[in-house]
Amino acid sequence: MDLSPIWLTLKLAGITTALLFIVGIPFAWWLSGGRSFFKIVVEAIITMPLVLPPSVLGFYLLLAFSPQHGLGKWLHDSFDVQLVFSFPGLVLASVIYSMPFMIGPVKSALQQLPAALAEASYTLGKSRWQTFKSVLLPNIKPSLLTAVVLSFAHTLGEFGVVLMIGGNIPGVTRVASIAVYDAVEKMDYTSANNYSLILFSITFVMVIAIFVFNKYQAKSPLG
Amino acid sequence: MEHIEYHNKLFKYIFFLPAICLFTYLPVAAQNVRVAAAANLQSVIEVLQKDFKQKTGINIEPVVGSSGKLVAQISNGAPFDVFLSADMSFPETLFKGGFAAKQPVEYARGSLIICSSQNIGFENWERMLLTARVKKIAIANPAIAPYGKAAEEVLKYKGILDEVKSKTVYGESISQVNTYVTTGVADVGFTTQSLVKEAGSKTDLYYKVIDPKYYKPILQGMVLLKHGIDNRGAERFYQYILSPAAKSIFASYGYRIQ
Repeated sequence: MDLSPIWLTLKLAGITTALLFIVGIPFAWWLSGGRSFFKIVVEAIITMPLVLPPSVLGFYLLLAFSPQHGLGKWLHDSFDVQLVFSFPGLVLASVIYSMPFMIGPVKSALQQLPAALAEASYTLGKSRWQTFKSVLLPNIKPSLLTAVVLSFAHTLGEFGVVLMIGGNIPGVTRVASIAVYDAVEKMDYTSANNYSLILFSITFVMVIAIFVFNKYQAKSPLG
Repeated sequence: MEHIEYHNKLFKYIFFLPAICLFTYLPVAAQNVRVAAAANLQSVIEVLQKDFKQKTGINIEPVVGSSGKLVAQISNGAPFDVFLSADMSFPETLFKGGFAAKQPVEYARGSLIICSSQNIGFENWERMLLTARVKKIAIANPAIAPYGKAAEEVLKYKGILDEVKSKTVYGESISQVNTYVTTGVADVGFTTQSLVKEAGSKTDLYYKVIDPKYYKPILQGMVLLKHGIDNRGAERFYQYILSPAAKSIFASYGYRIQ
């Protein structure tokens, strides 16, 4: 059995989660402070992948990445980069696709922290960044873990977007979810079952881990 | 108490509503013919549908997908009456499995083309595929789509199959290859000639018909399925597909007719 789709999926989920951690957490912090109409719109856009069919996202990405016009053309002409049918393209798509799972839990956890925490830190002469790093983040560890695990698991489950822009290339864009689909299409149910079992086991263990970790936090993993 | 009464009523309504809908819908559905059609037929099937409706007044509901997927669905009890495949072996599989009422018959032969949304010149396409100008070549998944298999045979015949492997992207069916070609995300694609006719007014396409001697003929077969035995419309549609009227429509879409 060819395990490359499994490795590719884990690699995609790992890189996506790392990028989301770097980009998403400061973003969540910005969103958690105050409400302007602009912030509401930004948050709505970030939340869209939760409710949009992945095929819609895939379709827009297909148009955006096309080397014939717009962004894709500019990337193609300036940097000779083609995002469609490539691993970096899948990473970018996954970052957009899993963004709400990183930002949601972190933002709501930051909003639930007592204001006195940050204020005490400022009174002691700490900067905004120091306060965020050394006071706020350590206080929302469970939510950080939830966000990381959910982003990772959600990327493992990505299918529709990859089907639209991936091109099913072995070792490049044939991730495990696509390999399952491909095997079913070929009526190779043994392979389909193997991939499915591996995916099921990985995600199940991850979800259980969150539940166990959050048992003492008395809230659901999606909170 | 009153609101419990109300809930019970509501529950009954909710429970019976689908049943009522189903019963009112059934007699209408019985006259329709569900046709499972291979992806390469997606444009020609609409024309056949209109023509058949005009001649007989019978509605067909086409469901278009890769032949392999449709066979899997039919084998698992999908309620299709007629299956138009992109090859002979898939209908054969269904017949052997006891899902078809009759032996498969050939209704058309497909023509493979090489196609692009840019005017890159196809005089010497096998050499062109190797140049840096062509970054991505789209073919349908050879394991499940006969046109993809034919494309692979052509590349093998030309001796460039291994060299273009790194540029090849696989559409899950010929429809996805068509999407890749018309949106320009793939520089070239191997697809069915009927795409050119379909896209005619919408996009400019440049193409060359591949010489049929480079690949095994794409014999496209049809079977009347067990599900369609009691449906008179299904039998009529089956006969219609083999009639001169349908044959000339197929021919106008680039299919070769024996």
